[in-house]
Amino acid sequence: MRIKLAGGAALGVAAMLVLSSCGSGSGGSGSSGDQKSSDGGQVTLKMVAADYGDGPGKPNSGETFWKGVVDEFQAANPNIKVEVQVINWNDIDKQVATMVQNGQVPDILQTGDYSGFAKDDMLYKVEEVLSPNVSGDMLQKFAEFGKVDGTAYGIPFVSSARALFYNKELFTKAGISEPPKTWDELKADAEKLKKAGVSQPFGLPLGQEEAQGESFLWMLGNGGGYKDASGKWAINSPQNIETFTYLKGLVNAGLTTPNPGTKDRKTVWEDFGAGKVGMVNGGPMSIPIFDAAGLKDKYGVAPIPGKSGPLDTTLGVMDWIMAFNKNGHAAEIKKFFDFFYTGSAAQKISDTYKLLPVTNGGIQKLSSDEKLKPFLDALPNASFYPFQDPKWADVNPAIKQTIGGAVKDDPAKVLGELQKTADAG
Amino acid sequence: MRRLRALEPLAWTGPAVVLIALVVLWPVVEMIRSSFLKINRRGVEQGFYGFANYDKLFGEKDFADIMVRSVIWVVAVVALTVLISLALAQLFNQRFPGRRVARWALIAPWAASVLMTAIVFKWMLDPEVGVINQIRLKLGLIDALGGAPADQLGDASTAMPWLIFVAVFVSVPFTTYALLAGLATIPADVYEAAKMDGASKLRTYWSITLPLLRPALTVAALINVMNVFNSFPIIWAMTHGQPGYSTATSTILMFILKGSNIGESAAMSVVNFGMVLVLTVIFLKVSRWNKEVA
Repeated sequence: MRIKLAGGAALGVAAMLVLSSCGSGSGGSGSSGDQKSSDGGQVTLKMVAADYGDGPGKPNSGETFWKGVVDEFQAANPNIKVEVQVINWNDIDKQVATMVQNGQVPDILQTGDYSGFAKDDMLYKVEEVLSPNVSGDMLQKFAEFGKVDGTAYGIPFVSSARALFYNKELFTKAGISEPPKTWDELKADAEKLKKAGVSQPFGLPLGQEEAQGESFLWMLGNGGGYKDASGKWAINSPQNIETFTYLKGLVNAGLTTPNPGTKDRKTVWEDFGAGKVGMVNGGPMSIPIFDAAGLKDKYGVAPIPGKSGPLDTTLGVMDWIMAFNKNGHAAEIKKFFDFFYTGSAAQKISDTYKLLPVTNGGIQKLSSDEKLKPFLDALPNASFYPFQDPKWADVNPAIKQTIGGAVKDDPAKVLGELQKTADAG
Repeated sequence: MRRLRALEPLAWTGPAVVLIALVVLWPVVEMIRSSFLKINRRGVEQGFYGFANYDKLFGEKDFADIMVRSVIWVVAVVALTVLISLALAQLFNQRFPGRRVARWALIAPWAASVLMTAIVFKWMLDPEVGVINQIRLKLGLIDALGGAPADQLGDASTAMPWLIFVAVFVSVPFTTYALLAGLATIPADVYEAAKMDGASKLRTYWSITLPLLRPALTVAALINVMNVFNSFPIIWAMTHGQPGYSTATSTILMFILKGSNIGESAAMSVVNFGMVLVLTVIFLKVSRWNKEVA
């Protein structure tokens, strides 16, 4: 027993030396973490991560993915244990909030937003938990979004972009030669598809799952968005009202998914994969779904049509990984993060889930992938949700629940209610 | 020594009291406390907030509609469940070939997880591939799959009946078995006496079966009231309370609020808790549960 302890202590000291030597550039990392590992005891890192796969038990589940990463990491770092709890996207924010409220803060969290935690002073700075050579390789634009008041807290984890997917077979059947570029062309094509017997010419998921994404893509097509150029909330801007009025026209003509305000994107993507949908906005992460449904090589990818021409921007979504400072494990977290970004793990996540990398190195490695190319090209000019605005936390759930009403009832009224939510208190 | 003996019952009831305090009382206290706190979305407490959470909750545009809908939901589901279960219990109380199999079959919806049942029904109602819509198409009730007419869960007016149907479907087995147990306790000689008096079947049911069944009926209905009011998985799995909030009950609203404002969500929970208490008291008053059978 005593020998084991001594051995552990030696390992800990060695680890500390290695760390302090490579971390010198960042100006002294969290000292409490270093002390803990030099005690020689084993350190357990608690991590909470979102599930990019199809859920527990599926071959691509988050549990399986992280187990592979952690096993490899623990083999190289026997005195650090990583416990990963994978939670699905619908529940992760609520469950993490419950953990925080109960004082059971994890060491590492991987999810869709970090900025709130940074404002609550709960996070390590990026420089404390990530080596400079790794953070230096991050796409500059992404890393910028990880900053709150000039200090980086969020580490970009994966990203994605959106484009228009269209079913080539259905297009041929309806006599359409190329994907639409403008809203008028889109409507004309949708009518042709309808005549050819396609039940959902355009797949329009404005239901709870990701209404805020689909809506944003359409807003961008008319020079709108959630905020105006000056950074003020502009959900009920004239452009946005015009956008939803156009969409309502499509819905009323039966050219879209029925009752879009109740449809999740997963369902609509599956319908596209089953050949029931002519066109749909999707991302790299929808490729595995379409391929699995048997649509492989029968669909094309094009820029999303806007009112008068294709979008020169698209929705970019970035997910984040962050380190909480409550348990003081900065040194161990740093080892794990460096391992994650420099090893094969980041690459594996792109391969498994078709999510886009966030490092220059990762993007270069993927540039030969034909299907991913349109999305990789779109990344540098992407638009993002206003997630750094604290109000987004109130506005986003309201959008998810109610914005579908804008294509059923009065667009100005529904968007006006959302604007009120954004302007309140 | 005698004093010690007097304390003995405490040793027996103590663990149960502690358990109740821990798993029932403490969460209630914590829930009420949270509803008066300012808590941000990340779960960080930011101090006392007075009634601000309640003000915000009562100010929600859809709040009144949701509360009314919750009551309608409870009344509709429980009433239908009880009526159907009364008939089924009567049926299963008769001797007929295959009764054992039929009784087992009735357990199935109860044994399956409610969430699973709800998801199965959601799939059966899928506008593109759902089996119910395939049948409606064959029967000529709809012209084509995939359109608005095939999308019954997409509109509140057609979604609500389906939600109620599924809720009844999962509540009927338990209720039927509770009533079946109640029927078994009614002594045969009472029926014999009625027969001798020449009472009609309807009269016998109304004057003997129903009154003697009242204790079982009350308990079964009461448990249903609480269960249905707090029912979450059916609506969440099938509609998310959408379109908008038009199929949401207060339990659904509580869950949605949890994503943006935990304090307001806790306030909703407290209101829910109060509603269940009020519904229970009203129900017990109406059913005069503790009055002896005349």
